[in-house]
Amino acid sequence: METKMPMVLDVISENIIKHGSPLALKGSEVASWAKELNLPVKGDLLFYTGGEYQMLPFIDSLVKTITHLDQGSKVFSMMMGARNILNKTGISPEKMYASVLAKDKDRYNSVCFKAAKVLKELGYEFCYSGSEELYSGALLYELGYLKDMKDYAKRVVEVIKKSGAKTIVCLSPHAAEVFKFVYPKLIEGFDFEIRTYIDLVWERRDKLAKITSPESVVIHDSCRLARELNIHQELRDILESVGAEVKEAQMNREWTSCCGGPIKILFPELSHVIGGRRVNELKDSGSSHILTSCPYCLSALEGGRAKGDSAVIEDLIEFLYRGVKA
Amino acid sequence: MTDFRKDFVKYAKSLNEASEDKNIRTAISRAVSSYRNTVSETLERFPHTPALAEEVQEIKTRSMASLDTLLEQAMASVERNKGKAFYAKDHQAALEIALGIIGKGKTVVKGKSMLGEELHLREYLEENGNEVWETDLGEFILQLRKERPMHILSPSIHVPREQVAEVFTKFFKKEVPPDIAEEVKVVREFLREKYFTSDVGISGANVVAADTGAMVIIENEGNVRLATGAPPVHIVMVGVEKLVPTFQDAMKVAEVTWRYAQYGVPGYVNIVSGPSKTGDIEKVTTYGAHGPKEFYVIFVDNGRKEMAQEEKFTQALHCLRCGGCMYECPVFQVTAGHFGHTYMGGIGTVWTAFVSGGMEKAAPLVYSCLRCGRCVERCPMSINVPAMIGELRERIVYGTYED
Repeated sequence: METKMPMVLDVISENIIKHGSPLALKGSEVASWAKELNLPVKGDLLFYTGGEYQMLPFIDSLVKTITHLDQGSKVFSMMMGARNILNKTGISPEKMYASVLAKDKDRYNSVCFKAAKVLKELGYEFCYSGSEELYSGALLYELGYLKDMKDYAKRVVEVIKKSGAKTIVCLSPHAAEVFKFVYPKLIEGFDFEIRTYIDLVWERRDKLAKITSPESVVIHDSCRLARELNIHQELRDILESVGAEVKEAQMNREWTSCCGGPIKILFPELSHVIGGRRVNELKDSGSSHILTSCPYCLSALEGGRAKGDSAVIEDLIEFLYRGVKA
Repeated sequence: MTDFRKDFVKYAKSLNEASEDKNIRTAISRAVSSYRNTVSETLERFPHTPALAEEVQEIKTRSMASLDTLLEQAMASVERNKGKAFYAKDHQAALEIALGIIGKGKTVVKGKSMLGEELHLREYLEENGNEVWETDLGEFILQLRKERPMHILSPSIHVPREQVAEVFTKFFKKEVPPDIAEEVKVVREFLREKYFTSDVGISGANVVAADTGAMVIIENEGNVRLATGAPPVHIVMVGVEKLVPTFQDAMKVAEVTWRYAQYGVPGYVNIVSGPSKTGDIEKVTTYGAHGPKEFYVIFVDNGRKEMAQEEKFTQALHCLRCGGCMYECPVFQVTAGHFGHTYMGGIGTVWTAFVSGGMEKAAPLVYSCLRCGRCVERCPMSINVPAMIGELRERIVYGTYED
C-alpha cells in the first residue's frame, strides 16, 4: 500500500537522498567554515560535522514555509503543485532561505570552526572531507526511512573511506548514535571507531585553558548523549577543568528533559512550548547560562526561549572556545 | 493510497489547543511533581522494588511466550471455581458476549477499566437499553461531561473543582459548591444506592493468575469492592496480556504495579476467583451468599495475541498501566490525553496501532513522539518504546502494515 506523508517529511528525506543534506545545502556552503584552516582530506582521525550545525539557521525557515503550505486554507491544490516541483528540482534553498539572518548563519557556521580550533589546541591532528562530506542520514533513520537509509549509508561510507581514517569524531550526538548503533547493522564491515567530540575533549581536559566566567553555568544534557551514549559526567568534568561553576537542573543526566527539537519539523508550535518549558527548568537551577552539546538542542532551546528572556544559550563548543582566544 | 496529511494537520491543531489549556497545564504540573515525590519516597521505603520489577519483567516475558497455554489454564480455573469463562477474539465479540450475559433493561455499575474504554463498553450497553454508571469518581465526572479520559489512572485530571461543581450542580439538580469534600460526598450518596439496586457489576483486573483463576484488582476509592460485591452478577473483562502463571507471580506483578502507579500502599487489593458461596448450613455449598451469585470472565484478545507474536512489539504487552511514563513524557506533560487515542503517550501509541484504532489512527501519534527515551528510564518493565516507534514509522512510510 502506498502512503502519503506530510510534505515536510518528503522534502527532508528526498533532500538527504538527492543532496546529502536534509535542507539541500550545497557542500561548498557547508564546508565554508574550514577555508582558513587548510585541513587535510586524509588522516587517521576524521572530523565529522555532518553539516548539522551549519543547517540550524535554515531549519526554522523551512519549517515556516512548509507549515504554511500544509496548513494554509488552499492547502491541497497548492500542495500537489509543490510536491511536483519538489520531485523535479528539490526545494531551492536559495529562495527559501533568503530570509535567514547573516548573523545567525555566521554564528552556527562558526561552531564547527571553534570545535576544530579547540581540538587543535588540545593537540589533536585530524582530517576533514570538506565539501564532499555527506550528512549521516540520522533523520532518515529517525523518521522511518530505513530502506532509503540502507542505500544512502553506502554513499556516506564511501566518502568516509576516502579519508583513510580509522576513527570518526562526531560533533553531533545524533551522528555518533547512527554511526555507532545503526551503520554496523546496515553496512557489512563498518568497523570505524566512533567517538563524540566530548570524548576527545574529556581525554585531554587537563590541557584546557581556564575560562574566567563571572557567572555559573547549567548543563542541558542532550537525550542522545545522556541516555543512548551514556555521556553526562564527562561534560561536568570538562567544565570543572576550565574552572566553571556548574549548577544542576532538577531533571538532568539520564533523567534530562527533551528540548522538543525532534518534533520541530512536524509540530513546530508544540516543539516550541516544550523547548520553553525546558529553558525554564534549566533556569530554575539558579543559572541563566545554559550549555548544551547537540545542534538540535541548541536550536530548539534558542527557539523556546521567551521573548525578552536574557538567558544565554550556547553550545559547549562555543563556551570552550573562549579559552582558545584568551 | 492512504493520505495522512489531513490527519497530521488536524492532530497538530488539537495538540496546540491542548498545550494552551491552562487546566491541563496546572493539573499535570501538579500531578508530575506529586508523582515523582511519591514514587521516590515509596521506593526508598520499599527498596526491594526495582529487583522485584526485574523479576516481573521475566514473569511477563515467560507469560507472553505461553499465552495460549495460560489462557486455557485460566479459563479452566474459572470454570472449576464455578464461574463462566469466555474468550473474545475481537472487539465486537467481547461486546456481544457481555451483552448476552447482561441483556436489556438492566442497571450496571462499572469500575474503571482501560479495556472498557477500548471497547466503548458503556456506550454500547447504553445503546442496547441498559443504564450504566461509572463508579470511579474521575470516570463518573467524564461520563457526565461526555468526555474521554485524559490519563489512564486519573481520567479527569484536566477538570478543576469549579468545573466539577458546575456539572454536578446541573446533574444533581441542587447547588453543589466547588468544595472537593462536598463533591466526593454527593457522588458517594448517589452511587451507594446504585450499587445495591443494580443488576450487574463490571470490573477489569490488573493481573490474572492462571493456576487459580484469581483476578487481582487494585484500587483506592473502594468503588470496585462495592461494584463487584453488591450486585448479583459480576463480570470481569480483562485483556489476555494480564495473564501470569501463578498466584505468587500475580502478587509480584500487583506490588510492582501499585508502587509505580503512585499508590504507595493501595487502599484495597481485591482478589476475586469465583461467585460468592457458603457451606455453613450442613456443608452444602450454596452460591450467592453475600456477594454475586454469578461470576463471568471475558478474556479479550482484540489484537493482543498478534502483538505477542511480533518480536519487536511483544514487550509492549508487559505494560502494567502504572502511568509513570506519561508523567515523564514532555509531550504528554503539555497535552495530556490528546497525545493518545484510547491509550496514551508513547506506549499508548503502540497499543493504538495494534489494539485500539489501527495504524491510521496511530500514524500522527507515532510522529509526535520525541523518541527522547525518558519513558524507558521510568518504566518498571523497561519497555523500549522509542525502538517500537521507530519500527512503526518505517511501516507507515513504506505502507507495510495491515489495515
